[in-house]
Amino acid sequence: MAETGRLTRAAAGPALSPVTLLRAAIILSALAVWELLSHSGWLYRDVVPSLLSILRALIALLTSPSYYFNLGVTAAEIATALAIGGLSGVAVGILLGANRFLSKAFESYIYYLGPTPKIIFFPVMIMWFGVGPESKVALGTLSCFFPVALSVAAGMRGIDKVLIRVGESFRAGPWQMVVKIYLPAMRHPIINGIRLGLGVALIGTLLAETKLSNKGIGFLIINAYSTFDMPRMYALLIVLFVLAIGANALVGRLGGLDSIKRI
Amino acid sequence: MPAAGSPSDDAILVVDDIVVRYETAEGPITAVDDVSFKVRPGEFLSVIGPSGCGKSTLFNVIGGLLSHHQGVVSVAGETISGPHQSIGMVFQEESTFPWRTVIDNVAFPLELVGMARAKRAERAHYFIALVGLAGFENRYPGELSGGMRQRVSLARTLASEPKILLMDEPFAALDEQTRLLLGDKVLQIQQQLKQTTLLITHNITEAVQMSDRILVMTYRPGKTKRIVDIDLPRPRTSEVVSSVAFGRYVAEIWSDLREEASRGMQDEESYVLHHDGTAS
Repeated sequence: MAETGRLTRAAAGPALSPVTLLRAAIILSALAVWELLSHSGWLYRDVVPSLLSILRALIALLTSPSYYFNLGVTAAEIATALAIGGLSGVAVGILLGANRFLSKAFESYIYYLGPTPKIIFFPVMIMWFGVGPESKVALGTLSCFFPVALSVAAGMRGIDKVLIRVGESFRAGPWQMVVKIYLPAMRHPIINGIRLGLGVALIGTLLAETKLSNKGIGFLIINAYSTFDMPRMYALLIVLFVLAIGANALVGRLGGLDSIKRI
Repeated sequence: MPAAGSPSDDAILVVDDIVVRYETAEGPITAVDDVSFKVRPGEFLSVIGPSGCGKSTLFNVIGGLLSHHQGVVSVAGETISGPHQSIGMVFQEESTFPWRTVIDNVAFPLELVGMARAKRAERAHYFIALVGLAGFENRYPGELSGGMRQRVSLARTLASEPKILLMDEPFAALDEQTRLLLGDKVLQIQQQLKQTTLLITHNITEAVQMSDRILVMTYRPGKTKRIVDIDLPRPRTSEVVSSVAFGRYVAEIWSDLREEASRGMQDEESYVLHHDGTAS
């Protein structure tokens, strides 16, 4: 019933579908409950700040230079982690996928280390790289490496063998084989691995920042928390949420663009 | 020389005493046993045999993709060890690069040797037109039919301008009509370029339609059973299949092949029986 209703609506022209209306209703009622709670006095003061104060904090945040500085720090950490972890993941994945011996010897380690929460290595990273951004990059890299390596190794094994034989029959050199056959043939697993890698690099880096740091968005959040500046903390969470959605959409777009024609 | 009837002096491809053995769980299997033949410039030779006669193994040996064999393959007097620039292979499987457009697929071998972009495009255009795909240069293989993709593979191999075109059942995955028409296309190109061609196939009609000579192989181990001269007028098209002489050749080769194919069938049946029916 709902389906037919939506179809006729869609045919009639652009109008608010029941789904959109319901979604809007959920958000609005959540905001209403929030606002009600903040004025009720049922909870400890300021744990649920009013929407207005959060909005004010958000504006203050978005107009302060220190926010952009720390955002830059975090973005650079994640980008560096993605670059190092992603590239080494691709390289290791290719090696494991190409060499049966190496894959037998090492892949089970990667397989079992992969799902381990990398934050448990954070104390070690602090000792090796210090409290600054370096230890965050290290943790992000560590998080990013595993899904990329596993995805690329599987992709390497999934390459249509005949394409490799075509390359060999035309006497492609090792470098030409990698650049012109292996990498393009693995574009889907590589993009997929990087998408997964970005997600965990984001989590790893931010988690590390909230644990112990002196710069970055995670630092701002935990700083707001420890000074009990709740509106500011919520404003930061909102910003972070929007950024994470944006990053995901960006990488998703990358995969989407590729799959249009080049099945 | 078992390759009787062929003048040896002007042969461009010489296959001499090829033996290939595989180690399997059941012990060694001789896939190809003592196969020898010669191909003259401009000649169209087909190797035909039942499945399991080692013809694909032979294809890989001649193409230089398989090296653990005995015997010698030489091109224009030069013994080959590994893939050779004079031999262009067309594979049975779908082998176009799905991430490259038709023109980039065809230009692939030219790109590998570092030919300049403009010259590369020009030559690719020529071979795309030759296989009848002009206008499809900027399409991706995913947008083409199976027969068109196989023509892209053919154009790609021809673009490397091999002395010998080596094809392994290039039409096996296609339906019968496409296969016949594509066979016509190959014949026409082969006659136009005077392209020396070696076709590996299990299809008798295809082999008789196109070949100057046909080498019939036995079922495992793959040996030369007979070499048949096909004395049909050229230029040929697929219309030749309705002639009386054509039918005679087909019948002749079938009587040879039938023995081998039924031997292969019995062999496979007994294999399945002895392996509790689990083997496929």
